[in-house]
Amino acid sequence: MSWRDAITLAVRTVRRRPGRALLTVLAVTLAAALLTALLTISTTAETRVLDQLSSGGPLAGIKVAAAEPDPGQVDQDDAQPGAPKNLDDAARQEITDLPDVREVIPIVSTRMFVITPARDKDGHRIDPFQEDVVGVDLDKINQLPITLTAGRLPVTGSTSEVAVTQGYLERLGLGRLDAPQVLGTQLAMASGQVVSNGETNRVRGRWTKVTIVGVVAQEASNGQFLASTETVQQARDWAAAGVDASSALDLPTSPYTGLFVVARGIDNVSKVRAQITAIGYSTAAPENLLASVRRYLRVVEIVLSAVGIIALVVAALGISNAMLAAVRERRREIGVLKAIGARDRDVYRVFLVEAGTLGFLGGVFGTALGWLIAAMVGRVVNGYLAAQRLVGVQLTLPWMVVVGGIVGSTLLALVAGTLPAVRAARLPAREAVSGT
Amino acid sequence: MNPVPGASIDVRQLSHRFSSRAGTVTVLDGLDLHVESGGHVALVGASGVGKSTLLSVLGGLEAPQGGSVVVDGDDLSGLNRRELATFRRETVGFVFQHFGLLEALTAAENVELASSLAGVGGPTRRERAAELLDAVGLGARARHRPVELSGGERQRVAIARALANRPRLVLADEPTGNLDDDSTRLVVDLLESLPADHGCTLVVVTHDASIARRAERCYRLESGRAHESVL
Repeated sequence: MSWRDAITLAVRTVRRRPGRALLTVLAVTLAAALLTALLTISTTAETRVLDQLSSGGPLAGIKVAAAEPDPGQVDQDDAQPGAPKNLDDAARQEITDLPDVREVIPIVSTRMFVITPARDKDGHRIDPFQEDVVGVDLDKINQLPITLTAGRLPVTGSTSEVAVTQGYLERLGLGRLDAPQVLGTQLAMASGQVVSNGETNRVRGRWTKVTIVGVVAQEASNGQFLASTETVQQARDWAAAGVDASSALDLPTSPYTGLFVVARGIDNVSKVRAQITAIGYSTAAPENLLASVRRYLRVVEIVLSAVGIIALVVAALGISNAMLAAVRERRREIGVLKAIGARDRDVYRVFLVEAGTLGFLGGVFGTALGWLIAAMVGRVVNGYLAAQRLVGVQLTLPWMVVVGGIVGSTLLALVAGTLPAVRAARLPAREAVSGT
Repeated sequence: MNPVPGASIDVRQLSHRFSSRAGTVTVLDGLDLHVESGGHVALVGASGVGKSTLLSVLGGLEAPQGGSVVVDGDDLSGLNRRELATFRRETVGFVFQHFGLLEALTAAENVELASSLAGVGGPTRRERAAELLDAVGLGARARHRPVELSGGERQRVAIARALANRPRLVLADEPTGNLDDDSTRLVVDLLESLPADHGCTLVVVTHDASIARRAERCYRLESGRAHESVL
């Protein structure tokens, strides 16, 4: 008997006993659903936790400072940099050329004078203050450790929009949930330039008006303002155009404040860090923390998988029991099959395919149901996160879970169906005459 | 029409016992039987004398425990499980009192199943099933499931299935035991025509004397042996 004929016969037989088949498939469905839901939720949770750890940036990111490495700190997640060392285009190119580097994103920052119309919680005006403004290529924001928590990001290339950080909110005495209050606020920002009349030096400012369009959590560089590279570069150029600028205003000499290097995968972070250290720059990456968290999350995943697998094994026992009952009930049918020429292996195949069919159906329905359950849990979680003004989770159904759910259920059912199939195959052909 | 004549049967000193907790029961004890190629033989006897057991042994459903059974030149005593399955598939067609149709399949699929087990491809076996169902007068019921057929119709489907692999020996175990008079007449007519129309030997186990009388030879089983009988 061909596999196709065996499958046809098995499917017809399953359909002929819908009640028993339904109950057996239901058991597998519930088990597969449990496994799928648990793995989907745990995978999503893992992604969420790791995202949080990297503040929205890629987990394979490495911050490179314009400083030499401190030999005693190179293995730290957030190493203290050594003596200043300029990061220029040559260094950027050298790092870009490293084999396991996917992307190098330059970061520039400059200190600016800020006037805000905001008042503190007692109603007093906030004194003008100096703060670092971080400039990045806003088109590559999703690769940087920057997460938008309210509003939107400045438009790429814009010199009239900025985003602020939690630090700015705290300066105003505001909490995270008050972020929307600062959106739309217009600030006056100035960069200084030292000018000389031959006898005395004085500082003159280049003033621009900018609007706060968003609130971000960012760890690209120190600074309470995030702007386009153009905004910061113009300010730096203005300051650098003055006389004796670096000594009078304590301006940085490095063309780039830092680089954000994205390695090809988390596993390459350590190697790339070592290579950058060898070039002569200080680096930082949360690799040790990530490794620890990943280990703990893996344990959680294993425990949840074990729960699902135990449920699947219980369901497989149900299949085995149902198939053994079917063999007992169908002794005459098995005898007839043999009387008309079926070999032992033909009967074995029919019963094995029948068990596999039950497992396959349970796997398909269970995976779909598990995804639905996970989606419902995701909606509840997102509702809670939204109430907390936090970014929601994006539920991901790993293809391994889908394939594993269906293939695993089918394989387990085949294993569970082996004993009944062997028993059926070994039944004597005379059951056709004497069986019930 | 099958150009090859039916199988001859030569049984010598066949013995068969059943063991149970209550003890061993000897059902067949030195039974001798000879059936000519293309013959039509009836086996009669009281319940429990071993008619069905003899049929099982002749059809290769179980191996002979003692003596020799030669069907169409094959000594069944020396065949293993796989060889017996091949023998059943290639040489024998069974018709049971309980019809033995698979409820999950249609009439045509039941007939096709036998060909499928013999490795016959889809189009050929579909054609053969249609031809056989036409021959037993059930061409219009090919897509009906057994539960949608009467007892007589089911038995005719079973006869069609028995003929699917062009057997040289057809064994019928109480083929009319569950049928009314009209259906019995139809089924017996059909069975009776098999040796001539399909070139096979026919052995029928029956309690019904009127059916047994229609056979060329009739054997009564008694005390584990077969005695030729005139009804």
